[in-house]
Amino acid sequence: MASLSLNLRGLASRLIPSGPLLQPITSKCIAAFSTTPTHPAPVDPKAAAAKAKLKASKAAAKAKKSKRKGAEEKDPKIIQMMRHFAAHNPKNIPPPLRMARNRYLRHWTIHRGWLMFRRKQREERERTLMRQYQSMSTACEELRLTNGPGTRDTGYLYRVAMEKKGVYGHKGIPIEYARAQTDTPAKIAWNHEWKR
Amino acid sequence: MSRCQQVARPIVRSLGQRCQPQPIAVRYFSSTTIRSDENTTVQQPGSEAGNPGLDATLLGQTSSTNDFEAFASQALSPSLGSRRRRAALATATQVPFEQMPYQCFQEARKILNQDREEKIAKIVAHTEKIKRIEATDPSTYRGGEGYKKKRIESLRQEIEELKILADINDPMVKRRFEDGVGDMNKPVYRYLANRKWRSMDYKIIVQRINQFHIIPDILPKFDPTMDVKMTFRGYKAAPGAILDSRLTETPPTLKMQVFDKGERLLTIVVMDADVPDVEKDAFSRRCHFMATNIPWGPTDSQLPLRFIGGGRTPGDLAVPWLPPHAHKGSPYHRLSVWIMEQKPGQKLDEAKLKELYGSDQGRMKFSIKGFRDKFGVTPVGFNLFRTVWDENTAGVMERNGIPGADIEFRPQRVQSLKPHRKARGWEAKRQKPKYKSLWKYTKRIKNF
Repeated sequence: MASLSLNLRGLASRLIPSGPLLQPITSKCIAAFSTTPTHPAPVDPKAAAAKAKLKASKAAAKAKKSKRKGAEEKDPKIIQMMRHFAAHNPKNIPPPLRMARNRYLRHWTIHRGWLMFRRKQREERERTLMRQYQSMSTACEELRLTNGPGTRDTGYLYRVAMEKKGVYGHKGIPIEYARAQTDTPAKIAWNHEWKR
Repeated sequence: MSRCQQVARPIVRSLGQRCQPQPIAVRYFSSTTIRSDENTTVQQPGSEAGNPGLDATLLGQTSSTNDFEAFASQALSPSLGSRRRRAALATATQVPFEQMPYQCFQEARKILNQDREEKIAKIVAHTEKIKRIEATDPSTYRGGEGYKKKRIESLRQEIEELKILADINDPMVKRRFEDGVGDMNKPVYRYLANRKWRSMDYKIIVQRINQFHIIPDILPKFDPTMDVKMTFRGYKAAPGAILDSRLTETPPTLKMQVFDKGERLLTIVVMDADVPDVEKDAFSRRCHFMATNIPWGPTDSQLPLRFIGGGRTPGDLAVPWLPPHAHKGSPYHRLSVWIMEQKPGQKLDEAKLKELYGSDQGRMKFSIKGFRDKFGVTPVGFNLFRTVWDENTAGVMERNGIPGADIEFRPQRVQSLKPHRKARGWEAKRQKPKYKSLWKYTKRIKNF
């Protein structure tokens, strides 16, 4: 069973009878890029039954797997660490690029060009953000110095604009204020089930 | 002489000895195809090293180089080689590197060229700004004359940086630098050379300075800023290596590279920091060589010290080369090569230096620190080698009329102040012939 479920990749090309319409190349393409055949190919009932059977077995395997996982649920921190180590494992580091000279120079040029492009983009973004921030701050300054509508005193509009009503939900406050700030926060931020 | 000719020189020589050039296998040291369109930034002086073939024809000689050229062109002709190679040669040689039809490459070049244009525009703007500031009266600034000077200086510095940044992304610049044909008058090549030097050679020199206690034995503070390499009779000497005294009988050839622009005058000093002084029971210093007023720029590379003072190379010889020698039994001598930069426009008086340091007593009185303070020079470059007594030292000393080849230094034996004590223990008790049967089990104690 296991071996069957492993060899799902070439399934489409094997199950679909290569009729006169379907060239072998086309069927290969289907196998490579999508698991379901897009072409409404003539399917004989025998093959369809086999497919259904396979699907069922696959689902069962999945359920089994998830159950097994649930039994030994890992801390996300451990998972993260394992991933980190895997990424830095010498087995997983790709070999250095080996190129002839002209090709290396072209590669280098492209790399430098890419770095330059990213730098340009980043600087543009930073400039925009800075401009926006400064225009907001000048607007606020203007508000601070204006007399309010009607009998309001100077800076009323500014104070109103600085209010954060509704930003954290209706009559809410930032959740950060609800507990003391620590270097090692709890895994569960708030125990909603707690009752006296 | 270009790199390729340097590489091919032995082959050319071997060809010159034969009557007819035999088709030997020619291997170029790069796997890529030969490019005919590679033009360098500097126009090479055609009469000298640039064109050896022309020289030969002027002298009326049939040069073996020409034979080699013909042979090489035949060997590398596009009609030879595999189909793949021929195809590569047929296409690659025609298209210049910059115009190679790779889309991503061309897009990258577009971005880089645009950036270059921006940098050049900035340079132009800065130059105009400098002109404007120079034209304005310093009293209009709140900082006055000082502010104006500082402003101009910082703008000039920024222009220098921009000049480097404008060219640093050019693949042809990189290629030329790697080939060693970069024009050192251009800031970008100087920058690249400096970066390369700092990556390893500088670190080694600094390590030698520290591990051999050049700081603080010779100078209290020193940081090299130029590249200095030595060769003795064509042999490269690693910094701090112990060299054979026959090799160091003749002065070295220095390969020096400065990384800032402009001509300057250099003073070169070689000194020994470990001359044993028996009367004082200490070590003293000795000057082995001194040459001054040597003009040096970023394009200069080699300086054979043996030609200084003979009129072949510019510069004045103040103290001629004294071959490094160490007496038998003395610890290694640190021979340090110092390159010192003179103040701009300042020429040192050769006669005065000769008078001060030329005699045997004068050599012994030399100190780098005193020399620096007296003549206002700044140490910029450094290299080091060591010498010990070896089988050739006696001959070297005899040939150069240096006395003292028969002197041998021996470590003084220090007797223990404690009284002699008899050997003790189980083994010591059983050393006598009475226990002869046990001798195979006991360790024999010496002098018992």
